[in-house]
Amino acid sequence: MNLKLDKKDLKPFLQSLIDEADLFAPVQLAEGVLVFKKIDRPDEVDLSSSNTQKPAKEVFSPQSETMFRYEKAGKQHQVTSTEEVERKRVILGVRPCDIQAVSLLDEVFLGKEYTDSYYLNNRNATTMIGMACGHPLSTCFCSSTGGGPFLRKGSDLFFIDLGESFLVELLTEKGMTFQKSNFFKEANTEEISLAKAIEEKALKKTDTSVPVEGIEKRLDLMVESSFWDRVHEKCIGCRVCTYLCPTCHCFDIMDEALTHGGQRVRNWDSCLSSLYSQETSGHNPRPTNRERTRQRIMHKFNYFPKNFGRIACVGCGRCILYCPVQFDIRQAINWTSAKRLKLQRGGRSTNP
Amino acid sequence: MKNPYHPIPMIVKKASVETTDRMLRTLQLSFLNEEDAKAFRFIPGQFCELSIFGKGEAPLGIASSPTENGSLKFTINKAGVVTTALHHIEEGTEVGMRGPLGNGYPIDIFQGKNVLVIGGGFAFTTLRSLIAFFLHPENRNKVKDITVIYGARMPGLLLYKEELKEWEKRSDIKLVVTVDWGDKDWKGKVGLVPNVLEELAPSSENTYAVICGPPIMIKFTFPKLMALQFPDERIYTSLERRMKCGIGKCGRCNIGHIYVCNDGPVFNYAQLKKLPKDY
Amino acid sequence: MIQKKIREKAKELLEKKMVDLIIGFGEWTLPLRTTPIFVRNPKEVDHLIWNSFCENNLSTYLHKFSHFKVGIVVKGCDARSITALSLEKRFKPDQLYLIGVPCQRMVDRRRVKKAVKGEILRASEQGDQIIVEGEDFKTALKREDFLYSSCQVCTHRTPTLANVLVGDPVEEIPMTETHPDIKEFEKKSPEERWKYFEKESSRCILCFACREACPMCYCEECFVDSSNPKWIEKSLSPSDNEFYHIVRAYHQTGRCSGCGACERACPMEIRLTYLTQKLNQNVKELFNFETGIDAETLPPLSTYETEDRQEFIK
Repeated sequence: MNLKLDKKDLKPFLQSLIDEADLFAPVQLAEGVLVFKKIDRPDEVDLSSSNTQKPAKEVFSPQSETMFRYEKAGKQHQVTSTEEVERKRVILGVRPCDIQAVSLLDEVFLGKEYTDSYYLNNRNATTMIGMACGHPLSTCFCSSTGGGPFLRKGSDLFFIDLGESFLVELLTEKGMTFQKSNFFKEANTEEISLAKAIEEKALKKTDTSVPVEGIEKRLDLMVESSFWDRVHEKCIGCRVCTYLCPTCHCFDIMDEALTHGGQRVRNWDSCLSSLYSQETSGHNPRPTNRERTRQRIMHKFNYFPKNFGRIACVGCGRCILYCPVQFDIRQAINWTSAKRLKLQRGGRSTNP
Repeated sequence: MKNPYHPIPMIVKKASVETTDRMLRTLQLSFLNEEDAKAFRFIPGQFCELSIFGKGEAPLGIASSPTENGSLKFTINKAGVVTTALHHIEEGTEVGMRGPLGNGYPIDIFQGKNVLVIGGGFAFTTLRSLIAFFLHPENRNKVKDITVIYGARMPGLLLYKEELKEWEKRSDIKLVVTVDWGDKDWKGKVGLVPNVLEELAPSSENTYAVICGPPIMIKFTFPKLMALQFPDERIYTSLERRMKCGIGKCGRCNIGHIYVCNDGPVFNYAQLKKLPKDY
Repeated sequence: MIQKKIREKAKELLEKKMVDLIIGFGEWTLPLRTTPIFVRNPKEVDHLIWNSFCENNLSTYLHKFSHFKVGIVVKGCDARSITALSLEKRFKPDQLYLIGVPCQRMVDRRRVKKAVKGEILRASEQGDQIIVEGEDFKTALKREDFLYSSCQVCTHRTPTLANVLVGDPVEEIPMTETHPDIKEFEKKSPEERWKYFEKESSRCILCFACREACPMCYCEECFVDSSNPKWIEKSLSPSDNEFYHIVRAYHQTGRCSGCGACERACPMEIRLTYLTQKLNQNVKELFNFETGIDAETLPPLSTYETEDRQEFIK
């Protein structure tokens, strides 16, 4: 059964979500600058833009997250844990690329021997309302990385913007709990056809040409290559790409002390920062931008696939749009193809 | 479900300065809670993240052996914010501990073989754990010959001096303690670890080597091990790296696709050769 | 044709081995943007371009090439940064060759984007117009209406102290008594000013793009990284964000060339130049000093003379 939400019912729908749960949705902080924030009033929500600057990973693993609080009690300490999530949560307006990224982060935070309690609690409490991308940007290459503008995997509910209304698909058990919602009406055949047409058009628009196929093997041959000497040159070593990347997940743990206690906090960190791997002795295994750029690209396209079977990039294009010096990851990936050809032919590399 | 980031409360039972330059301090920590003590199982080579609330955490190799019940021993080099704080805390203070972390030495692989232990400076901490483990009556016959070469720059900088003296007296372990420069009281061997190794020339047949020390020592000792025909798969070392979470999540300590905190810190040279030179 | 002259000069410098590489601007993947390029082969100088989208301050790269002789394409503001850096002894004499371009002022790509509906797929310059095209639109915009605010008030568009100028010097405007943005700001009460600053810095994600894009921020250990003393925490908090911005602006006093690279780099579009421009104005008023104009006068806040004015010490 296909449902729809008329846009005139959007605000009351949002209010109903706010009444029941903590709602996270895109909010405009300044013209053209959007982030996911906890919503207090429905009119804060902005679903008009193609994507937020800060990715949806923030809702599951915030940029700064308190791990526990402690208070001095003589020579000992009273520790209060902060991993509990008291209220249910809903995230609305997440694009398929960000949803794909969250499933990728699940592998890191929930898999193997240890489970990250904070992430797990956030994840379990959250209902994911995905939003299809009817107008992908030219920088979107989700289709090259195994995703797509209408990828439904990972969404509990899936909205498709039809102009006057949203087509609503209930995809999971969590999604089905919305079946009886007063705000959802039955969609007619025209609306369903319109959604299909928008989907077909969007699928044609995203870039399928970025050669990520086989990149893990190509990079295996390139660890010590002079390729990195050229690739890193224009990178200024800021953290824009890392912080805006929906799959980047490195974090730092710091204690913040006050007189009688304090808290342990974890914050996003970036392997591009010069002090990231600096050891207390002063030795830094990645002393220059060359090693750090290599680490970031190798991690995304070689090390992560070795551990988890897929590349750590969902093709959202934020790093391309917001890099201050226009480092384009698609070009770096392209060059690995060209480079491999040169290596095979025994040629020497020149300026990429 | 246990939160892997929450430290277990430990109490500083005993604190002592280990070296004459006062840069190394040994802490004996006991568990505050009985059930934590019962649940804690570790093997030599593993480490813990010690917490000083308000300062942070530091990864430190466990120096005590699993056979030494009741408390954990750590020897701490004063280097940064947390380790300096660990140098100043008094007996009876609470510290946090998360562990055991890491893979530890492959004691199962060592069974039935000879073990050659080479240590330098304050990297000797987890080697102490390994040696004490195998010297315990329950474990001694798990391995054949135990040979230990341990060197420091000067006699005052040797760790666990009393214990070394005890071990030197034993017949079931061959221990050579050496220093780069002696002093007027030093009656023992004087010589750099690589040279002592060359001189001693232990057989590599059926032998596993474990080497921990400063980079300069490893750099010169490694060729000597090669000359003695030790193959890469039978030379083990413990890597150090800046760490934060200690459980393979924060991404900081990776070398290639492996995380030093979780897949390591103990590796053999055959494994290290496959990794990118990112260390 | 400035672009042609840049390429000719670059070719000459590389062929004569007067420099090891040229840092300039090249064509790249997105419209309304160029990208820094590093040319070592004289055959590749045709990659170098010049247009109204050459917005980066390339002198921020010089520390990466400290062992090389570098030719660099500079606008007026970039050249001033380099002079300021030279006074701070960041280069050896004769290490650099400045290819000076009298600047036509750079176009603010963000304002262009906001002036049209839909994604801009192609952009070009034609005379005094910027032509932008999307999937279903093509619009011509007047270039003069879309300049960066820092460019609008620039007083030194012609690079001083360049080794060569590849265009005719442009007519400079004198430093205005108060610059329009500052004038607006000065009209506000202290509470309003603080509210504005608070709102801007609340968006900050501590990505440090502003710091890395700035050529004057070259400290190996920035104050934000110091753990002992720990000046600010690493987590996001309104007061720490504000502290970072205030201190960074102050560290630029007497050193900032007003290039605007910080503001252009920010992914959250935080206004930053109003702080540094106000400080630059104050430095001009109090010390009669403008950053990077001459290669002799040392920055007033980096030096001490016994004759320094001290009437403000009570």
